[in-house]
Amino acid sequence: MKQVVVTGLGAVSPYGAGVAEFWKGLAGGACAIRDLTLIETDGFRCRLAAEVPEPLGGSARRTRADRLAIAAAGEALADAGLGARDCAAAALVVGAVGGGMLEAEAWYWRTARAGTRPASLSALRAVLPSAHAETLGSRFGLGGPRHTVVTACSSGAVALAEASELIAAGVVDVALAGGVDAITRICFMGFNALKLLDPAPCRPFDRERRGMSIGEGAGFMVLETEARARARGARVYATLAGHGMTTDAFHVTAPEPEGDGMVRAMRAALAGGGITPAEVQYANAHGTGTPQNDRIEARALARVFGEGGLLVSSSKSMIGHTMAAAGSLEAIATVLALGHDLVPPTANLATPDPDVPFDCVPRTARATRLRCAISNSFGFGGQNVTLLFRRSVA
Amino acid sequence: MARVVITGVGVVSAAVSGDSAALGAFLAAPFAPAAGALGAGAVAVLVDPGESRRLSRVCQFTIAAARLALRESGLDPAAGLGLVVGTEFGDLASTHAFADGFLARGPGGLSALLFPNTVMNTMVATTAIAVGARELALTLNAPTVAGELAVARATAAVASGRVPAVLAGGVDELDPVVEHELKRFGLDAERRAEGAAFLVLEPRVAAEARGAPVLGEISAAAWRALPARPWGVGRTCRAPAIEAVLEAADEARDRWEEQVLGAALGSAAPVSTLGRLLGRHAGLGVLRVAAGAWTARSGLLPATDGAARVERVRPGRGLVHGLARGGTHVALVVDAA
Amino acid sequence: MEEKEVLDELKTILVARLKFDPRRAAETSESTPLPKGVAGSIGLDSLDFIELSIAIEERFGIAMDENQDLTEHFASFDSLSRFIAGKLRPA
Repeated sequence: MKQVVVTGLGAVSPYGAGVAEFWKGLAGGACAIRDLTLIETDGFRCRLAAEVPEPLGGSARRTRADRLAIAAAGEALADAGLGARDCAAAALVVGAVGGGMLEAEAWYWRTARAGTRPASLSALRAVLPSAHAETLGSRFGLGGPRHTVVTACSSGAVALAEASELIAAGVVDVALAGGVDAITRICFMGFNALKLLDPAPCRPFDRERRGMSIGEGAGFMVLETEARARARGARVYATLAGHGMTTDAFHVTAPEPEGDGMVRAMRAALAGGGITPAEVQYANAHGTGTPQNDRIEARALARVFGEGGLLVSSSKSMIGHTMAAAGSLEAIATVLALGHDLVPPTANLATPDPDVPFDCVPRTARATRLRCAISNSFGFGGQNVTLLFRRSVA
Repeated sequence: MARVVITGVGVVSAAVSGDSAALGAFLAAPFAPAAGALGAGAVAVLVDPGESRRLSRVCQFTIAAARLALRESGLDPAAGLGLVVGTEFGDLASTHAFADGFLARGPGGLSALLFPNTVMNTMVATTAIAVGARELALTLNAPTVAGELAVARATAAVASGRVPAVLAGGVDELDPVVEHELKRFGLDAERRAEGAAFLVLEPRVAAEARGAPVLGEISAAAWRALPARPWGVGRTCRAPAIEAVLEAADEARDRWEEQVLGAALGSAAPVSTLGRLLGRHAGLGVLRVAAGAWTARSGLLPATDGAARVERVRPGRGLVHGLARGGTHVALVVDAA
Repeated sequence: MEEKEVLDELKTILVARLKFDPRRAAETSESTPLPKGVAGSIGLDSLDFIELSIAIEERFGIAMDENQDLTEHFASFDSLSRFIAGKLRPA
């Protein structure tokens, strides 16, 4: 099995465009969860989100999610220094959930209220999650294997795991992979209806936490075989050393109370990388801020790493839950943490939950030597993914 | 790399529902094209009322087809089972029903029960619960070839030893809103239908040890896309083949696909186009692989012209090829057991 | 509103929102347990209870305070209709 390394990063986050902006926000512990402006929120209990600020870049004829994807993917490809020939053979794996639903909703809402159907096709053309792969594929000339994974909140992480499988198996040498999601009415309304949203910015691992905050963004990585990266003198950020994908098969919305699926995913990632729990210093948690997730995730982390066995923080405290982008944006945060020996904090953490037996790095980033780190994404429907990153020895 | 075999088939559709025996009987008998909507009866016997209350229509026929395939294979999911499902449209019916609730009555009209169905992984999430699949579970969204893609991806998972067995399926539902819009913009030339189909894939060694039925072997699977420059064309189709099961949605793609396959295979292979007969959906994509295995085994090829007869061909090996709107193509080589 | 009327409304919600078969809904009585795992219950899980709360808020115009533990009120239609009728009575 070939070693898979990260050679390019691209991000559009609620802090703005670019990986530099993303890291600056995270390292500074800045909370980007604010009043929602993109859609109507009257009558809903929670009216906040972490939106990507204007200007978005790209053509206004494209869907919002496509624009986010193009910007992040473009940055990653440029960062990796991939040329046209490399791209023609590169695999593409996209994690998506909402697709172009924001624009399709606008069309559907207009239709319902006006009673007539607008003639324009463009609102619907890019609605499906698979549309991003078609957009990125043709925009960047990507001709290798191409597929779109929809695994709810873990989609972005699954995309990275899928790409690493293709590389490790020798199907391709290089891949572009990541996730993207834009705010949608359906997502906003649905999580509100399920009473899973905190009316204030989320407080993962806090004793008083009351729910999630939604967000949007796009995060992409270029992954390659280590041999190829070294041969062409590419900058290697980290090794994607292992991954685990499991399913709770328990309930469509509630996580399985013992966290067995989470434990299996984490153990599989460690086993894949030949790493023991003691060698991991940091877990970038799924950490949504719901009472259930954080409690169960903490229990699962304790089962794998022992209580207090590593630092834990939740990026969702700052960028919200970016849905299909979460897995990949948070993987990027994990890679950057390794590179800077700096663990981004959990923002809004005023009173750590005594039932969470970990230092969750409240409010201020922590400088510490990092060798290995994991990133957890535990999606709706019990779709669990853990990615294991190892610092690159240059 | 493990050799990957098919040990169970499950199909739920308007034209045929059942396991590999039912599918074989259907393909062998002269039949009238029956693309269209599913009847409720096919599913009712496989999903009990306690479950069905909470399952959307598309989830119900996913579970039904998965159960048929699992039953035929005799596989115990507790030994470790993955799930890969391809779909083009997912549960759009629930999505607009959810939106309709809000548009009619505001926040009080939102349905918590419907919300999980607005994410396309709902068929996988509900099927995993229904059958007890706890290994990797993926939903692949793609135009046209989602079913074939799911089988190809599942084959890789079993071949690599990542998972002991995988339920690979495809499902799509005909939704009136989607159909109306496709028609309005003149995109309804493609004959569409709905249904679900699943294969149980396992390593050959494990299947034989278990005494499971070995219905066919998937010897190779690959998928590629077309980049802006045509460097990817034809690279997928290098596998030698005796018969080809050919699919294309419209005239232009038909001709293009014939040329590509002709160039790659260099033979005038007998072809069968089930999509013309049964209507296109992601479930058909998986059914085609089962049909390819049946042809490889039996030497019978369903002819899909107006006469709907069956041809005799040399048994052995077949190629299942799918070409999507947008250019993704998938090829699978299917061998007799 | 009397408890009997509240009970009828809840049975309507059982069909319209929780997707129960009308015959099954008609068979339920005030004492039928609601939560899954209780003998003889109609098998409602956490998601069903959220749906039920939304429907109750909409139909009866009352607020269900999620900070309060409402589990005891959701035990049966009897306890639920008493809870709702109580909220509807002028203070």
